[in-house]
Amino acid sequence: MSTIEDIQHQTTTNAVLNVMLRALESCGFERFIVSGLPDPGMDVRPFVLLSGWDSEWYERYTRQGYVHIDPVARHCYSTTLPFDWSQAPFDRENDGPARRVMDEARDFGMDDGFCVPVHMEGGMQGVVSLVGETQHLDEKQRLELHMLSLYAHGRLRYLTGPAIRPPGRRVITPREAEILKWAAAGKTASEIAEITGLTPRTINQHCENAQKRMGTSNRLHTVVEAIRHKLITL
Amino acid sequence: MKLHIIRSPADRHDRELLEQNFRLRHRIFVELAGWNSLRRADARDVDDFDNDDATHLLISDSGVVVGGSRLTPLNRPNLLQTVFNGLVQGKLPAHPSLGADWTRFYVHPDRREGRRRAPESAALFCAVMEYALLQGYSFITFVSSISMLEHGTAVGWRITPLGTPAISDGKPIVAAWIEVSEQALQNVRRRTGISRPLAPVHGPPPVVWPDGPQLA
Repeated sequence: MSTIEDIQHQTTTNAVLNVMLRALESCGFERFIVSGLPDPGMDVRPFVLLSGWDSEWYERYTRQGYVHIDPVARHCYSTTLPFDWSQAPFDRENDGPARRVMDEARDFGMDDGFCVPVHMEGGMQGVVSLVGETQHLDEKQRLELHMLSLYAHGRLRYLTGPAIRPPGRRVITPREAEILKWAAAGKTASEIAEITGLTPRTINQHCENAQKRMGTSNRLHTVVEAIRHKLITL
Repeated sequence: MKLHIIRSPADRHDRELLEQNFRLRHRIFVELAGWNSLRRADARDVDDFDNDDATHLLISDSGVVVGGSRLTPLNRPNLLQTVFNGLVQGKLPAHPSLGADWTRFYVHPDRREGRRRAPESAALFCAVMEYALLQGYSFITFVSSISMLEHGTAVGWRITPLGTPAISDGKPIVAAWIEVSEQALQNVRRRTGISRPLAPVHGPPPVVWPDGPQLA
């Protein structure tokens, strides 16, 4: 399975972290962070989707508001393309705070890295920043890391988004929908069992559950109501 | 906001919406995004694929078009397999009759302000998945800047590239397909907070293409 496919199948942020770490190791990266970028003055912590950073550095970076003076984070606003940390422009002579962040990062063994800006809908800005040497990367690898980072950011945003709100109307589960669709196509319980690999007993149980929650009186009625309310699409 | 599913022959009302759509597309893709090959003297973006095969999904608010998208069945001439064929190295996930090519996705420029997901874009994402399910498609292809991979994944869609990205105007673009499923619809609805179906209840009947699957 490709890493991109793998990421999309993970259901926890921790699992995404592990898939990423495994993939990045082969490119010489060992740490990374996935985060949104806050407006000036705001705390970055609620925006962090996943931190694979050294915890001491993470503490210092977030507590001191480094995100607002870090040239790498700032440069994300001016480009859509990935860049090496060393390419993030800043005035080494006169910009003391920026210099401090870069120098301190170096003290934590973070000499160089690869930064992928993420532009979300509505102009919100995110970032995937990988810690490690970048000189050995060719164009193809850079593109692959770009794609991988976008998938990871998207998946994490999906997984960390607001939890499912209680629906206004009682709805059926995806499994029940699938079974009702087969029923609507004229399949019997044992035929649906064969198609889905479940037992006929489980099929019947799913139908009864859907029926109970929809307040319908029999299987035909359940299918008709499910179609009428567009709970299933044929 | 209201969803319109428009195919030719369109009635007078739908033709008026289509006209707004063509003018908006010209403004957005030619004047703002700089796709100069699409420039036309009449300031309407109309290409070879705005034909009888196309289905236009348009979102209107008080009669004004505020967002749109075009879908072309993949067993009919389409952008993916002509203009963008160079981006396609992999195989389609299923027979072309089971897929559609999603093109010309846009939101009205006046509606793109503020730090939020434009409700118009959210509605279009939901509408495209809902329409695909209603039509019995199992996948949707698209070509876009690779940031679409992030945007789609963030609403819980499974997206698979059809080839390696290419650089166009200095930016990476990619061809890819989106898996169509009940789960994908449920996920995008949940993430966008749009819980109701958008397609009109008495929508147009499903199309049966001459070389498509014949339903009994």
